[in-house]
Amino acid sequence: MTSKKKYSEMFKNSLNVDKKKITENLKYNEIDEWDSIGHMTLIAALEEEYKITFETDDIVDFSSFNKGIEILKKYKVNIS
Amino acid sequence: MEQSKILNKSNFKIWSRLGMRATFGIAALEVGEKSEKLLVLTGDVSTSAGLDRFKKKFPNKYLDVGIAEQNLIGIASGLASEGFDVITTTFAPFQTTRCCEQIKVNLGYMKQKICMVGLASGLALGTLGYTHCCIEDVGILRSIPNLTIISPADSAEAVKSVFAGIKHKQSVYIRLTGGANISQIYEDDYNFEIGKSITLKPGKDISIFATGTMVKVALDCANILEKKGIDAEVVNMHTIKPIDFQKIKDSAKTSKLIISIEEHNVIGGLGSAISECLSDIELSPRHIFFGINDTYSKGGEYDFLKKKFGLTPEQICKKIILNLKK
Amino acid sequence: MYNQNQVSKIKDLSIRIRENILTMSLSAGASSSHFGGSLSTVEILATLYECVMKFDSTKPLWEDRDRFILSKGHACLGYYSVLCEKGYFKKEDLNLFEKNDSYLLGHPVINKNKGIEFSNGSLGMGLSLGVGVAIAAKKKKKNFKVFVLVGDGECNEGSVWEASMSAAHFKLENLTAILDNNSLQQTGKNNEIMSSESLAEKWRSFNWDVKEIDGHNISEILTALNDTSKKPKLILAKTVKGKGFSFSENNNDWHHKIMTKNQYDAALKELRGAK
Repeated sequence: MTSKKKYSEMFKNSLNVDKKKITENLKYNEIDEWDSIGHMTLIAALEEEYKITFETDDIVDFSSFNKGIEILKKYKVNIS
Repeated sequence: MEQSKILNKSNFKIWSRLGMRATFGIAALEVGEKSEKLLVLTGDVSTSAGLDRFKKKFPNKYLDVGIAEQNLIGIASGLASEGFDVITTTFAPFQTTRCCEQIKVNLGYMKQKICMVGLASGLALGTLGYTHCCIEDVGILRSIPNLTIISPADSAEAVKSVFAGIKHKQSVYIRLTGGANISQIYEDDYNFEIGKSITLKPGKDISIFATGTMVKVALDCANILEKKGIDAEVVNMHTIKPIDFQKIKDSAKTSKLIISIEEHNVIGGLGSAISECLSDIELSPRHIFFGINDTYSKGGEYDFLKKKFGLTPEQICKKIILNLKK
Repeated sequence: MYNQNQVSKIKDLSIRIRENILTMSLSAGASSSHFGGSLSTVEILATLYECVMKFDSTKPLWEDRDRFILSKGHACLGYYSVLCEKGYFKKEDLNLFEKNDSYLLGHPVINKNKGIEFSNGSLGMGLSLGVGVAIAAKKKKKNFKVFVLVGDGECNEGSVWEASMSAAHFKLENLTAILDNNSLQQTGKNNEIMSSESLAEKWRSFNWDVKEIDGHNISEILTALNDTSKKPKLILAKTVKGKGFSFSENNNDWHHKIMTKNQYDAALKELRGAK
């Protein structure tokens, strides 16, 4: 799996949705499943996978699929 | 043991990241799936209790009574008397002290069965000041008959407490502590029984009884003490009332020192409950209390406050070692 | 809507309730009893239990029964009397009032088999219970009604207003509160202790349907209770504390007082004379 595919897979599993709902333009709260609980579940999964701990500001700023990719760069995780 | 698919290794890990409050919301969802009789009542705190998802999925099982805690308990009792399984929740000080008399009359005296969940008890909201901290809830509720009091050690235990609380024969108060991202005590599902403490680490020299988020602190203490050649037993007293008297009796037989650690006033809480037992045991060892020393300090962040009240593993161990030398 | 036959039955029941109140008051002896505040509720209770509420004392837990909550718990003399008259327990049991280990104490203790729905006495709590029960009825799609009797002094308690607000919010047209407005509380007039003017306006502003009546006029009580409404109903009953006996009417000494044998005899004579 490519890195982006894995990243997308984590969205699918954490939010417990069909993979067709995970688009590159997906934003927080755009779908029911990406609510505050879904968000923290996603964060937990990403932290576990990439062995990182997000800063609070980054958890708040992580507002979309793409924004997440940008934020992960800060933690030396490059999604491509 | 409550059988539920959600009690698995993977979820336990995620839940500790979420913290107890959000996890409570997940527990409520699970009960909601299975129970037609469930009603969850809040006082304008759905978002703070992780209940937004529950509210959306089960609007007929959710009732917001606004910022009116006395009415919250009264309505909950009326519903319970008509056969509903009721959970009430709001922040711990309001859930317990604001409506204390309603709890006494409805839950204690009339024995209407309700499961109350107190959010962010202890010092977690210290930056908001002591109106939003709760260091008195266990002490006050302990003196009301017909009430069970549980303080889960981690998020998974919070879920198990809710499952057990809903089925329990008397009313239950579940005291949630810590913020988001709390330590994980349990890796996988385990046997949880109200009233039965869990010995997380055996030890023959001293016994450390802890509750809520202080259980992790107790485990860290045991690690530090081990390096100093002191073999400390660590007991998770998730149920403070009824207290596991048998376990206290057994530990008192062999331990040189009893330690209690709680995120609560040293007056009235876990320490007091343990002491009440020890006083009835011949030749019981000395008991040192760790908790908040009956004061409302200036506020501050959670870690800052825990340190202020000597509730870090390093501070606790220092005092233990000093006392063992005596 | 009512008929003269109903009024007559309720009048008779009211007299029997007052006799029972006398019996219990005397039996209480040195413990005293809340004589005055019970007497102001008599016609209201008699009307509810004779002609308005659906219940069956042989099936006290009947799911579809109407529920009555005496939020003004200290007025239990009238409550126990009417329950007794309606067959929930034997007349001899009235003598157990405030005795050791008794189920009939100075404030009601929950005992559904004897018709006592909830424990009351700490003022301000009964209406919340009523709200909960009324919501339960709607959720279970049941038609039973909930009646709560509150006192005017009791309306000092903030919890009454929390409940009041929520009843309107949850649109509980199956809930009726009856306010025993005898204008006195333990140590004096309502308006001396805590001004509670314009009670009718206050409840109307909380979005209740308010009906003001003479709380001892049976036809007015019947009409008000039988009227339907889309909102929760508040029957503001103007009453007299100590009603029914010349020595106790509007005499606040009788809020909680010992009844002597002489007083009892005189009172009974007065009551039987009035028959």
